[in-house]
Amino acid sequence: MKKGFLIISTVCLLAGDALAQAPAPGAAAQPAPAAAPVPISDVEVKSVEAPKADVRAKGDPDGSLTGTVADVPVADAKKGLTIADVINQVGQNKIAINFVWTLVAGFLVMFMQAGFALVETGLCRAKNANHTMMMNFVVYAVGMLAYWLIGFPLQMGGVGAVANLGGTPPLNAEHTITLFGKAFGIFGKNGFFLTQGGTYDVGVMVLFLFHMVFMDTALTIVTGSCAERWKFAAFIVSSFLMGAFTYPLFANWAWGGGWLANLGTNFGLGKGYCDFAGSGVVHAVGGLSALAMSILLGPRIGKYTRQGKPNVIPGHDIVLVLAGCFILAFGWFGFNPGSTLGASGNGNLRIGSIAVNTMLAGMAGSLSAMLYMWIRYGKPDASMSGNGLLAGLVAITAPSGFVNTVGATMIGLVAGVLVCLSVEFVDRVLKVDDPVGAISVHGANGLWGVISVGLFADGKSNYGGSWNGVNGSVTGLFYGDASQLVAQLIGVATLIGFVFTLTFVLNLVVEFVVGQRVSAKAELEGLDLPEIGALGYPEFELKAGVVKGA
Amino acid sequence: MILAGIVVTFLGFLISVSSVALSSSVGGRIAVVLIGMAVSLFGIIGLLNRAYLRNAIWKK
Repeated sequence: MKKGFLIISTVCLLAGDALAQAPAPGAAAQPAPAAAPVPISDVEVKSVEAPKADVRAKGDPDGSLTGTVADVPVADAKKGLTIADVINQVGQNKIAINFVWTLVAGFLVMFMQAGFALVETGLCRAKNANHTMMMNFVVYAVGMLAYWLIGFPLQMGGVGAVANLGGTPPLNAEHTITLFGKAFGIFGKNGFFLTQGGTYDVGVMVLFLFHMVFMDTALTIVTGSCAERWKFAAFIVSSFLMGAFTYPLFANWAWGGGWLANLGTNFGLGKGYCDFAGSGVVHAVGGLSALAMSILLGPRIGKYTRQGKPNVIPGHDIVLVLAGCFILAFGWFGFNPGSTLGASGNGNLRIGSIAVNTMLAGMAGSLSAMLYMWIRYGKPDASMSGNGLLAGLVAITAPSGFVNTVGATMIGLVAGVLVCLSVEFVDRVLKVDDPVGAISVHGANGLWGVISVGLFADGKSNYGGSWNGVNGSVTGLFYGDASQLVAQLIGVATLIGFVFTLTFVLNLVVEFVVGQRVSAKAELEGLDLPEIGALGYPEFELKAGVVKGA
Repeated sequence: MILAGIVVTFLGFLISVSSVALSSSVGGRIAVVLIGMAVSLFGIIGLLNRAYLRNAIWKK
């Protein structure tokens, strides 16, 4: 009896609840007409009361009294608060949100330098730990100097208005040449020393910081592939040249209003070359420069037998490597979502989607690389699992703002396998020595990331209604726009044909002037003492390597 | 050989860029860009790298 009463009363309660939530018949079909906008007058603005001083003096434990009308700055104290003051504050709030977002994202990217340092040092032998760490440390300063003096103006001096950062109007001078009847932007001309051309500007400063740490990421990729045999002085000169010329030129073409970005407006190729956060601009530039440098330097002593068969030269600390990979994955949340250059307005709420795409692609890359190695060699290789994570992150960098989660996962899956195949190809077929796999992680997967925009971009993103001056959203081949793929392929061809060549030629000059490679004696001894003057691990007794002659 | 590698690699880039003028169709442009890429890759792998491998350190 009791049981029956309980069941009946529960059913009645649930039914009542459901009925209470159900809309009245016809109510859902006829939405209430929108209320006509009510004009607000200065009088009404002035009537908004701030919390009383005695109330405020008691503190604000729930936060309801902090941030009120009392905090809106007034332009003219005699007039008091006006609508103009309120509107100005709204505008400044939007830009402030974007400034803080972009700066914090830039700080995260800066921290990636630590990740790169750990990964590269861990993958090298202990006898070169100090040298490898120092290259990763010093590249930050050398790159920044080059970028402040020369690189930033070349890259962004003609970018025009960056709406999310308040306009950046001083960056308005782009050098162009006419080709095929169209203007081709080649390099910017404003912003030297961040003062020339009126560039002593708050928005320009935010833009500089964000792009500076991107540039430094590209530079530090090369130190990995050239580790254990690169002369420190040559490394400094080479890195300066890359930060001043090689990186900024391609970055101008892609991001600074240059000719690649304008392939859409000039030749009807989709939305022009699209590289949301830099699979091409940062990673492929770094990876292809790494390839050029590795060819030029030649392999380490002991890497190949006299018959040309590759030896494995294991790194000295896998703990450093995987910890570094995690730091990099963390920093990537600044890299990709930060590339909106804002969190408010112009479709910037897509930062959530970009962040999720980033983590999914990293996951997919790590898993597919691990599984590939497991199936092929019988064990899940730790360093390749780490490289798979990085490969997925590199590949999603360009498409992160334009694809959905399924696309992001597929891009990451391909990247994980691609990095394994590429490492084998570089090692065995090309016989190019790359101690950390930078050419494969950043070069091969940077190019894959660029191409994947032209395949997987789903046409759903909307950053202010247009991209690179072309209305609509970026759409790839699988979603109906084959011309976008052409723009992406031209970008890839430029990376391979131009960036590689420029890096090679500049470093050929360095080779003749400074000399790129350390002596065989220094290499066998380890570069810590001959190049840096101190051992990385002075209390350790270092054994001769597993590899003959290493 | 090194100089030839540099020239051929750069030539591939020029071929790819000229695709925008050589053809107006998507298919035509893709074909020209891919030819340019292949030329650049030949310059890197077939000429430059081979030139360096000829005097590779392990052969000494």
